[in-house]
Amino acid sequence: MTDTPDTDGLSRRTYLKVAGGAGSAALLAGCTGGGNDDSDAEATDSDGGSSGDSETTESGGEGSSGGNALEVQHWWTGGDGGAAIQALFEGFKEKYPDIEVTENPVAGGAGQNLHAVIKKRILNNDPPSSWQAWPGANLQPYTDADKLADIEESVWGHNDMKNAYLDGPKKAAKPAGEFVTVPLNIHRLNNLFYNVEVVEDAGVDPASIDSPSALVDAMAKVEEAGYVGMAQQTKSAWSTGQLWAQVLLGEFGADVYADVTAGNVEANAEAVKESLKIVKQYSEYYPNDAGSISWQDANSKVIEGDAAFFHQGDWAAGMYRGQDGFEYETHWNQVPFPGTKGVYALNMDSFPFPANNPSPEATKKFLRYVGSVDAQKRFNPKKGSIPPRTDVPKDAFGPFLQSQMDDFANSDAQPLSIQHGLAVSPDALTGFGDAMSSFISGYDVESAYADLKAAFE
Amino acid sequence: MSLNTLKRLLGRDGSGGSGTGPLPDDIASLRGGIQSAVSSLRESEAVRSAPFWLPPFLLMGFFVYGAIGWNVIISFTDFAGLQLPTYDPTAFDLEMYRRALSDGQFWLATRNTFVLLVSFTGLSLAGGLGLAILVDRGIRFENWFRTIYLLPFSLSFVVTAVFWRWMYNFDSGVINVFLRGIGLDFLASKWLAGGVELGALSAIPLVPETLQFKLFAVIFALLWQFSGYAMVVYLAGLRAIPDDQYEAARVDGASTVRMYRRVILPQLRASTVSAAVVLMVFALKAFDFLYVMFGNNPGPTADILSTMMYRQAFAANEWAYGSAIAVVLFLVALAVVAPYLYGEYRRGEL
Repeated sequence: MTDTPDTDGLSRRTYLKVAGGAGSAALLAGCTGGGNDDSDAEATDSDGGSSGDSETTESGGEGSSGGNALEVQHWWTGGDGGAAIQALFEGFKEKYPDIEVTENPVAGGAGQNLHAVIKKRILNNDPPSSWQAWPGANLQPYTDADKLADIEESVWGHNDMKNAYLDGPKKAAKPAGEFVTVPLNIHRLNNLFYNVEVVEDAGVDPASIDSPSALVDAMAKVEEAGYVGMAQQTKSAWSTGQLWAQVLLGEFGADVYADVTAGNVEANAEAVKESLKIVKQYSEYYPNDAGSISWQDANSKVIEGDAAFFHQGDWAAGMYRGQDGFEYETHWNQVPFPGTKGVYALNMDSFPFPANNPSPEATKKFLRYVGSVDAQKRFNPKKGSIPPRTDVPKDAFGPFLQSQMDDFANSDAQPLSIQHGLAVSPDALTGFGDAMSSFISGYDVESAYADLKAAFE
Repeated sequence: MSLNTLKRLLGRDGSGGSGTGPLPDDIASLRGGIQSAVSSLRESEAVRSAPFWLPPFLLMGFFVYGAIGWNVIISFTDFAGLQLPTYDPTAFDLEMYRRALSDGQFWLATRNTFVLLVSFTGLSLAGGLGLAILVDRGIRFENWFRTIYLLPFSLSFVVTAVFWRWMYNFDSGVINVFLRGIGLDFLASKWLAGGVELGALSAIPLVPETLQFKLFAVIFALLWQFSGYAMVVYLAGLRAIPDDQYEAARVDGASTVRMYRRVILPQLRASTVSAAVVLMVFALKAFDFLYVMFGNNPGPTADILSTMMYRQAFAANEWAYGSAIAVVLFLVALAVVAPYLYGEYRRGEL
């Protein structure tokens, strides 16, 4: 009586057991298979690295079928950036109709989410054809690990790129001495925006403020007239990071700035501390709710006429453009951040060329296109940035961007952004973020100096 | 222990499948004299039940414990940047842990993590208990209130973080507007940026000169979100206590306070422990709340281990250091859960 169900059960169990065993075997096989793939890829890559880039790209070309599939990853999924990159892809498709573009955008986190995806793919030796990346020292971990290929000949040798780009952007395209990436756009970081009616009412002439320290007096005057001096957000530290960099640049010049970002903090101790003190003075003219607002909220205070000055990258002008009845020069205007006349502080996006590229030929065509007049003319007016090429016709741009382009073409120095990763490696940038996060909770100049020293040296 | 569980599981399955016959347990007891037969049966049962426990065992083992183990291994390497580590066991060392111990930021984050853990859990339990007792008093619209108090628990951290940030706004936030409205202007504060001077207290190590409100603003918001959960757990505990005991206490002349203190609260031990464990685990992963409010660096006064781990691993590319912080966080979580599990095991409830 007990035997029958038992054997029945047994057979069913046996069946399940076999199935389970097969399942787990497949799982294990999958794992070891994955492991093997990894080590194979690692081996081929290190071969390619030692025997020269041309060989890697050749073998890659043979491997990829036809080479007309292109995978580009970026974080421009909406708004100005989304419209701009779509315009660029349209232009690319018109020029190269046979290349099939696959976009794999990763939204959010001001690019941090995409960075995480890219790092994982690079570590697995499965990079996309190209991706949106800040140029400069931000790419240092990639060049240190030989993950990017030299494209001086294959891309920068075309379209007269070397002559059309100024030194600053070219320097950012060569994080380790070789051209590995193509900058597409520039956002300026040393603008000081202001509400025209507010500064007139307060009797302040922004054009006459000649140094970051003089801005303190101007803001004091603005506060006396009943307005907020500087609309700044301190919810997160990055805006203060940008501001401190401009103060250092304006008060002590581009050479000191470059020296500090190169790691010589102690040699410039006075400059660093003095610039931190000035930012501390600025903080007395921030809005009361600075700690809980975003940069857009802060900028709204300028638009609504509650605040006089606003420091932010020139993407801030995108908000003014979208505001009816708030016009350039009549309602808002800008000057170069005090003390930075003739300087164009760079924040850029670029598209690098990975070694072990899945589609080397198509990627080269794409990067050449990114570096062309046509692409930069399509992309930048929509993005609200200016092209790094100086020969892009100005008629597609609005009056503000046109004046920015003039400033850029006539600039004597193009220092690289700290906060946006152009001047310092990701490791140092994290230390910088820590320093600024501590700084905005208490404005302790001495400890911020020590943190900066630890971050940059 | 696990064998018994399996046997029970198998027995139930066997009887369910056949619908007749005694349980394997009973068979075993019938043949109790023959030891060897019993042990072989047990062995075969473990083997025969493998299809039921082996797949989840393997999946959990690989995806959960395997991942934890791998994380521990990474923390022994020097993995940073975009070069894979060698995973050479002879090169494994505790450098990353030493680095953490000498990193001031790590200690600040640890301090904040414990402040968050202890005050959030304690206050949530107290708040939840208070609400549960009130709701249990047979008030009108009881279901309404229960739903209202539990509702925040159903919202995502992302949502609550955004609107608490609005509510904490100095100028337009509802908290300061309310305080000003009732004439308490002096209490209106910069909740996310301000603080109070601590004076002599700051002589104690790791106690700052100015006590920033930031972390406490976060704790308060989390409190609002989670006391409803504690309330539900306590409510279930209260409902399990027979009415007779309330009546008996009343007949003996106990006051309400005395009745709760001496009769009811001691019986809520199990509810307290299980709610506390869940709340503590939530406190350890308050990452999303902080990340939405302040980005990946909430600053020294609100930085916790999980935000620091994320920053080191995914912003600074210091994978090994991030892993070491993750291991510390894991050990803290284990220290929270292990006593609970052990207690339940001793009590035979596991």
